[in-house]
Amino acid sequence: MIREEAIKIPFQYAAGTAGSEFLINLRDHRQLTGSRCSDCERTLAPARAYCPDCGREGLHSVNIGPGAELVSWTIVPDKGVFALVRPDGADTAMLHKLLGPIDDPQPGIRLQVVFREERSGHINDIEGFAIVQENGE
Amino acid sequence: MRTIRIAGVGETGPVQQDRRSIPEMVLGAVDLALADAQIGHGEIDSVVTASVDLFDGLTASNIAVTEVVGAVMKPEARIAGDGLAATVHGACQIWAHAYDTVLVVAHAKTSMAANGKLTQWAMDPIHLQPLGVNFSAAAGLQANVLAQHDRHAEKRWARLSCERRAAGTSGMAKKLSQSEILASEITTSPLRNGMCAPLGDGACAVVLQAGSNAGGPVLSGVGHDLEAHGLGDRNLVHWAGLTRAFDRACRVANLPPADARFDLAEPSCFYPHEEELFLRATGIDGGTVISPDGGLMAGCVPVVAGMSRLVAAFKWLRQTGNAGKRALVHGHWGPAGQAQAVAIVDGGL
Ligand SMILES: [Zn+2]
Repeated sequence: MIREEAIKIPFQYAAGTAGSEFLINLRDHRQLTGSRCSDCERTLAPARAYCPDCGREGLHSVNIGPGAELVSWTIVPDKGVFALVRPDGADTAMLHKLLGPIDDPQPGIRLQVVFREERSGHINDIEGFAIVQENGE
Repeated sequence: MRTIRIAGVGETGPVQQDRRSIPEMVLGAVDLALADAQIGHGEIDSVVTASVDLFDGLTASNIAVTEVVGAVMKPEARIAGDGLAATVHGACQIWAHAYDTVLVVAHAKTSMAANGKLTQWAMDPIHLQPLGVNFSAAAGLQANVLAQHDRHAEKRWARLSCERRAAGTSGMAKKLSQSEILASEITTSPLRNGMCAPLGDGACAVVLQAGSNAGGPVLSGVGHDLEAHGLGDRNLVHWAGLTRAFDRACRVANLPPADARFDLAEPSCFYPHEEELFLRATGIDGGTVISPDGGLMAGCVPVVAGMSRLVAAFKWLRQTGNAGKRALVHGHWGPAGQAQAVAIVDGGL
């Protein structure tokens, strides 16, 4: 015999200090935020409370983007295109969506963050990253 | 340091769907391992289990198997990750002189729920879960980094998947030609359906015992390592965590990492690009036999994965003519191989 069930339990996930700052800046300022580590002298994207390499806490926040560079992508049928993008001013990449139409993406192509009109302090306040057309559109 | 004998192994599956309950399926593997080791439950000092709550649809998933692994009134520890990491902890208990005989058990039933949905909940809950990204997408992003400057990658991966599927005996993997794999549907580009290890149900049990190598294969080195969770924080071209885990295992086994020779390698590869990452991280070359039974690409149970490779290596070393040979066993867990585990197994006298 098989019993069927669907687990559906509401959760509340705390974003933490750096995560909250990142989300608030998306919502209120259409701004991407990174964190600067003075030990390894890297700017991490997105913002975080500690450096994953050094373990250093108390990183200071810096504006990154809105331009970005494509690092990697994967096309997932029915879900769209996930991408690793490195915002300008950052040394690491963040994961989000690549907005279409996408003919032949290449590593290093220029992107621009696209924000939603309706924002609530959520990672999906970013609609995704769009390819910057060569004619500057 | 004490010698750790692999006294017995037992495995159910991989099968597409095991209709038994989880405790019954686990009991099947434990009974086989105890019979192989010619011991009873009473001779087990300690148990280490590997399972993942969300996969089982059950919080504290080890509670359900406490009785069948013989852990009532005994110490039990649980690893929420690959079974090879549980083996690492079982070995450390013996090396610490805490216990003499340790039973290590791993299980998962992917037939219970959509695995791609479950692995989404292993991702960062603020930045990644809401996007819908999961382990498959993470594998696609890593494979894409490797394929960007390698025009032949997809053809090579299709050929490797074809070979591994053909070598399988579990019936889990449909035999597909290289061109059929290249024509199969995209799952997470550049990966295609024919390149993905078919997922199923199974349990695996191994008895580790302080002793000598007179009685068969011994566990001579173990190591494990974790990388940063964020894919963008890592250099996805390399499994740096695997190199560190491998170096640690070699040090425990008194082998020079740069010059260690292995007769057999049993990597945990859910996708063909992962075999290339494994070879690069460990320096394994053409002189080593790799996954003669097809490995995970011929049929795979997550969580059990690395332990099933340990069982495969153990059985190979027990074959006539393979005594005294050396095997490298690998397991990994998390998005794009975030967590890595390695075991070095030497054949008995
Ligand atoms: Zn740092």
